[in-house]
Amino acid sequence: MTELANNSKSMGYWQRVARDGPRMGFWFILPTLLLLVFIVVFPLLMQLYLSFTWWTPLEGIPWYQAWEVFNWGENYWFMITDPRFWGALWRTVLIMIIAVPAQFFLGMALAYLFIDQFPGRKIFYSIMLTPMMIVPAVVGLMFFLLFQGTGPVNDHLGLPAEFSWLTDVNRAMISVIIADIWQWTPLMFLILLAGMLGVPSDQLLAAKLLGGSNLQNFIKIIMPRMKTVIIIALVLRAVECFKIFDLVFIMTKGGPGVQTETISVFLYKQTFGELEWAYVATIGLSILIALSILAVKGLSYMAKK
Amino acid sequence: MSSIQIQNVTKRFGDFTAVDEISIDIEEGEFVALLGPSGCGKTTTMNMIAGLEDVSEGVIKFDGQDLSHVRMQDRNIGFVFQNYAIFTHLSVYKNLSYGLEVKKVEKPEIERRVKAMADRMSISHRLHQPAASLSVNEMQKLAIGRSAIVEPRIFLLDEPLSNLDAGFRAYMRAELKVLQHEFGQTMIYVTHDQIEAMSLADKIAIIDQGKLMQYGAPLDIYNDPQNRFVANFVGSPRMNLVDGELREEQGALRLMLHGGAEIPLAGQVKADFTSDSKVHSGSFGIRPQDIYFGDKRADHDIKMLGKVEVLERVGPKRLAYLQVQETMFLAFDEQAQLNVGDDVPFYLPSEASMAFDLDSGRRLGGQ
Repeated sequence: MTELANNSKSMGYWQRVARDGPRMGFWFILPTLLLLVFIVVFPLLMQLYLSFTWWTPLEGIPWYQAWEVFNWGENYWFMITDPRFWGALWRTVLIMIIAVPAQFFLGMALAYLFIDQFPGRKIFYSIMLTPMMIVPAVVGLMFFLLFQGTGPVNDHLGLPAEFSWLTDVNRAMISVIIADIWQWTPLMFLILLAGMLGVPSDQLLAAKLLGGSNLQNFIKIIMPRMKTVIIIALVLRAVECFKIFDLVFIMTKGGPGVQTETISVFLYKQTFGELEWAYVATIGLSILIALSILAVKGLSYMAKK
Repeated sequence: MSSIQIQNVTKRFGDFTAVDEISIDIEEGEFVALLGPSGCGKTTTMNMIAGLEDVSEGVIKFDGQDLSHVRMQDRNIGFVFQNYAIFTHLSVYKNLSYGLEVKKVEKPEIERRVKAMADRMSISHRLHQPAASLSVNEMQKLAIGRSAIVEPRIFLLDEPLSNLDAGFRAYMRAELKVLQHEFGQTMIYVTHDQIEAMSLADKIAIIDQGKLMQYGAPLDIYNDPQNRFVANFVGSPRMNLVDGELREEQGALRLMLHGGAEIPLAGQVKADFTSDSKVHSGSFGIRPQDIYFGDKRADHDIKMLGKVEVLERVGPKRLAYLQVQETMFLAFDEQAQLNVGDDVPFYLPSEASMAFDLDSGRRLGGQ
């Protein structure tokens, strides 16, 4: 005993840290680990469990007794044949494939303007970034007001009050997409500008002096160097866009009818309107799995490159 | 190939004047070095020629044609950057072909010219490797080749040798000279290294604090510096330049140095100092290799007495540091006859000495 104590006294500070380090580290991360179990693992298992039952809060039994209404995965079959689900999924993808490329090209063009110094660059830069600082719900409300029949948009375009945006079958979707583009182009701009500034300016000068036009230099010198940044920006926005909720919910509530209903809005309605919690669990879990597979495939593809 | 006329060019950044009324005429096919200490405005001058910077005042002409409104893309200038600015994400081949591709030259023609240039620069074995994998020396060659392949009107080189190791630098110096003859190009070369400038250039423009100090052939500048700055800047080891007050007593003119020593002026250098009666303080210049020991060789040579402080071996010769009161003279000990601590007489040849006005730095008299 005394020998051990002596021994540990004779050890240097860093030696003791090296010996006790791993054990100490475990105690340090334990609280976070427990927290993760409760907020990630537990709900996931609960979701999996419920998705195989008919259970709803109206069932009259607590959720852990849901096995009494076990249905052998009929929810999954119901989901696959549910046109409303597929419609919501398609509309989510539609918003994504229009809004994200639009944000990308606008962000890229704006970033290109900001490579060079010009008077007032800092002020414009700050102004450019404001949309993404605003809470999405507020942006939704803003565009809700802008797109009213008697609102500023119609006013400026000289359109009559009967020309509705948010209650029109086609234009509702356009309005939502415009709002999303307005809010998230700045993020694209920010990421792409950072990437663009990372391209060594002397190489750009060298390319210019060799006679390359701005477009040629952009395609051959700037773009290839920004590949990683571009992928990161696109993936980030695509994932965020898939979860779009605030804008849609405040501007149209998914309407008219289900014309702007995205996956998130659909899930919200199922949860708080229909109280079909088992079905919501089914859809949520399916999307999680589908996206995880896509993400892993995408990452391994990127790693190969 | 073009001649370049730089006429009264000034460049200001806010309140700071980086280049002040510089005028340089460069003939077709000439190799001109812009030489000066860091921050003297030589790179700014070059950037203005390339079009990277606007000219605040004055004009720059190629073959008499004003280029102020020609974009740098259209000036057809070969520019070699200090850090080479190689396109590191492309292959060596693509680097060489870039200037031709953007001009939409035919594919077979590109291939032919790229191969020829790679052979010329002896990097053909690396042609299909990524440019980022090249050594610094190869990057240097690639940078020159990439600019030369488009056959520019003029060639600008911004301190191209400063990143190289010493051995390769000497090799590249010779190589550059050969290339310049081969291309027959007008070349402008920015450097702070006077040896590079002296050995490479047909003409040297020495710039200090934005002002052109002297422009001429290397030997003319060396033998006949027009001011104190040039005298001090050119030559290795540096010229002895000692400052003092001129004092005339009973017909004899002496330069009273700080710390008590004095130089009794005589002959040509005395005449130079007295050529402007308004000058009261002057700077006496003599190159170390002109100082001699032993017997007096000419009547007007000035005899001094100094103590050998340090002897330093430089190649086959020895440099002697001679202390006269508080003033130090540098001389070559040709016959290895000196010992540290000796008091020795030495001579400053009047014909080889130079006189400068201390206030303006201007050369007095002169040839």
